[in-house]
Amino acid sequence: MTRPRLGVFKFASCDGCQLTLLDCEDELLAIDAAVDIAYFPEARRLALQGQFDVSIVEGSVSAPAQLQELLDIRKRSRFLVSIGACATAGGIQALRNLADSDEFVRAVYAAPEYIRTLATSTPIAAHVPVDFQLRGCPISKTHLLELIVSLLRGRRPQLPDESVCVECKRRGIVCVMVARGEPCLGPITHGGCGALCPDFRRACYGCFGPKESCNTPAIAARLRAQGRSGEQVAQLFEKFNVGSRPFKDEAARQRGDRS
Amino acid sequence: MSAQDVQRPLWLDRAGLQGLLDALAARGYRTLGPRVRDDAIVYDDVSHVDQLPEGWGDEQSPGRYRLRRRADTRLFGHVVGPHSWKRYLHQPEVTIASTTDGVRWSAPEASAEKLALLGIRACELAAIRIQDRVLLGGPFTDPHYRRRREDVLFIGVNCTEPGGTCFCASMNTGPRHRLGHDIALTELDDGFVAEAATESGRQLLAAAGATPAPTSAVGSATAAVDAASGRMGRQLELDGLALVLASNLDNPIWDEVASRCLSCANCTLACPTCFCSTTVETSELSGPGASRVRKWDSCFTADFSRVHGGNFRPATRDRYRQWMTHKLSSWYEQFGTSGCVGCGRCITWCPTGIDITREAQRIREAPMHDSRETAARIQANKLLLAAGPTAPPPTCRPSLEDGSMVPVPARVRAVNAETADTFTLKLELENAADRQRFGFEPGQFNMLSLPGVGECAISISSSPANHGQLAHTIRAVGSVTRALQSLTTGSIIGLRGPFGSSWPLESARGKDLLIVAGGIGLAPLRPALYSVMADRQAYGRVQLLYGARTPEDMLFARDLLTWSAAANGIEVQVTVDTAGPDWTGRVGVVTTLFKGLAPAPAASTIAMLCGPEVMMRFSVRDLLKLGLAPRDIHVSMERNMKCAIGFCGHCQYGPHFVCKDGPVFPLSAVEHTFWKEGI
Repeated sequence: MTRPRLGVFKFASCDGCQLTLLDCEDELLAIDAAVDIAYFPEARRLALQGQFDVSIVEGSVSAPAQLQELLDIRKRSRFLVSIGACATAGGIQALRNLADSDEFVRAVYAAPEYIRTLATSTPIAAHVPVDFQLRGCPISKTHLLELIVSLLRGRRPQLPDESVCVECKRRGIVCVMVARGEPCLGPITHGGCGALCPDFRRACYGCFGPKESCNTPAIAARLRAQGRSGEQVAQLFEKFNVGSRPFKDEAARQRGDRS
Repeated sequence: MSAQDVQRPLWLDRAGLQGLLDALAARGYRTLGPRVRDDAIVYDDVSHVDQLPEGWGDEQSPGRYRLRRRADTRLFGHVVGPHSWKRYLHQPEVTIASTTDGVRWSAPEASAEKLALLGIRACELAAIRIQDRVLLGGPFTDPHYRRRREDVLFIGVNCTEPGGTCFCASMNTGPRHRLGHDIALTELDDGFVAEAATESGRQLLAAAGATPAPTSAVGSATAAVDAASGRMGRQLELDGLALVLASNLDNPIWDEVASRCLSCANCTLACPTCFCSTTVETSELSGPGASRVRKWDSCFTADFSRVHGGNFRPATRDRYRQWMTHKLSSWYEQFGTSGCVGCGRCITWCPTGIDITREAQRIREAPMHDSRETAARIQANKLLLAAGPTAPPPTCRPSLEDGSMVPVPARVRAVNAETADTFTLKLELENAADRQRFGFEPGQFNMLSLPGVGECAISISSSPANHGQLAHTIRAVGSVTRALQSLTTGSIIGLRGPFGSSWPLESARGKDLLIVAGGIGLAPLRPALYSVMADRQAYGRVQLLYGARTPEDMLFARDLLTWSAAANGIEVQVTVDTAGPDWTGRVGVVTTLFKGLAPAPAASTIAMLCGPEVMMRFSVRDLLKLGLAPRDIHVSMERNMKCAIGFCGHCQYGPHFVCKDGPVFPLSAVEHTFWKEGI
């Protein structure tokens, strides 16, 4: 049986998500035995060629050339999976969508005339059809393995769309929002991190993005009632998933109401 | 020793409490008790009194919990914390089955432990009694919970200072221990009044060096607990509440609560009686090995009520309503008790501070009834007034009893295409012993699985007379059903079953049968039709009304012809939703076939329906108009079935588990919810 061809691609991102594949140290040999890692510039020098059974795409679209590149990858791919907050929501760099990117370019670069950038940072799914998404900043290794296993087995990946709270409660972590008044986004955030931050008595900052039934107005009202200003609450939503609709809209609502 | 000796109050000072801990350790018990950790009082291992939260109390209000320093040095001067004891008995994650070769599944040994729960409150013990009823009350018992529950000692503490969200007095579960404890302690400033309620408790107190309690101490202790009853932070008026909630399923207050609810699941996971779980099938990168892990789940998650093609409770409103009406209303019908013990955790640990006592009271004060609900209220009334849980519809135990959680191997004998997306999987149980034992009733289902892919509930579509050989007619729509479709003859799959209730063929003898099927809904009715044909003279007039999407989607055409052509056969009428020009039959939904029905002698007709819920609703409405009684109309319901034995809660439907109490219900058992969406 031929191994499925796997490609790993990158757009605007920090590389952290694709490195999760290399982080699968114990499983790496088994992964390599099960799939043909045919394109993965971070790990091996192989030229981009041919078709892919599965393409794993990291990063957001933030430069003009990336659009063409992405269309090419889609054409080469039977199954395309976008991974990480950048690829699924535009990433932290989507903050530029809320401001004047030309101004940023002028402020940051000594020679801004060499910079070719788009005014926005957008997720992969805004440009091409995506078959599956892995959330997170970075993604979870467990999710990545489950994705690979499920693709090999021909089933839907089992990545439940439940809140971070479910993971806290299963692990017996005391709620930081209720017991400490921390501004935790766990209740409206897609689980998958294993409740990493609350385990260190820190508030969840929503790096896996909005879960389904994401009631941002209700949690924002609670965060305000705990004594935070509209601006402070808006900033909680303006992080790695600021490009996701519920977070972006809630931040705007909170900004509009600065009382 | 007389019973009176057991009950005589004793005195235990702090050294004595250490003696009690030592005595527990000497008897091999792992003692769990309150400890301060992460800004809260949690339950963890305790071997020394110094580890107990001396001088710590807590402040609790909706959505808020804070530890506070007390002015005294009490060890139990707090109330219930973020964790319930259920994490030690009904554990958050348990491996329930595994296979190394993909053929033979086995159940890992359930883990047992001698546990002593120190400081458990009366409401918490009441919650354990409720979980006992759910998980051990039959017809199935959860082997993992059973093992963990086998040797547990309850060293209870009576509450003298209720918390801000407590309402055990309303729920009649506290503050005093009355049932199930081994020892009840009441803390005073200088020690404990200790009462043994069991022989184990008496022996432990003796070993700890307890002395007879001074009369004054007994009086103080009694007075303190009595006073606590009147100082609850919350109260809930129970009188008639179950009925009010049951008849207010369309109250707009549910929408208002949903506007504040995050559907984060905290309330359910903090609740000491919530028992729901999901099963995750994990597999290795290569090789046939797989295992099934059961994890805590909640009716607030989207996956909980999802089946292929949609979600039965898509909105937060549906989920909150499900949770609250189950706790305070349908739980009584289902388990004979309230599902709430008044511990207040769902109020304290709700991030937005939704208060179950307040919301219940709001609905009581702003009831909303339409005429159908008035009828439902009467129905609910009858059910709720009956002492204890109403008799559930007849259920059948699986003939493969030890296979209730663990699949047995079944070999694929054929995979036959029925329509473009539907196929029939013919199976034979691999082991002779399983073949010997296996039998089913028409209407029952099996759980079919492929290791590493998953499991799904599929009704049996073959004749019950055909022992050992089984057929399942399946629509290939999800990953498991598609994988089953691509199997070849000789493959091995996993099977658990049969599960659920069956069509009422026995009580229908001597009567007319009206069978209504929509689409693949004919599959679970086919075994019933085989049985009727095999015993045709036992029934009067038998009519089958069958609707399919198109002529090409029609199932079992050959059977339909055989049955209708047979001497003394059955009357078959079919209709399709849409058809090409070469279709000469009827076009229209299945209810159009009702127009041709003679006004039936309603009293002697039994109706059996299976198909999409909306089709059954329209059909049932017409059948009621024809004069059939709700008890004579039988519907086969569909929900997300995961465990199939009434533990995981996914298929909760009003007061029923569809897997165990259904899927076949008389309408009279489900009338209250049958007409509603989002249940």
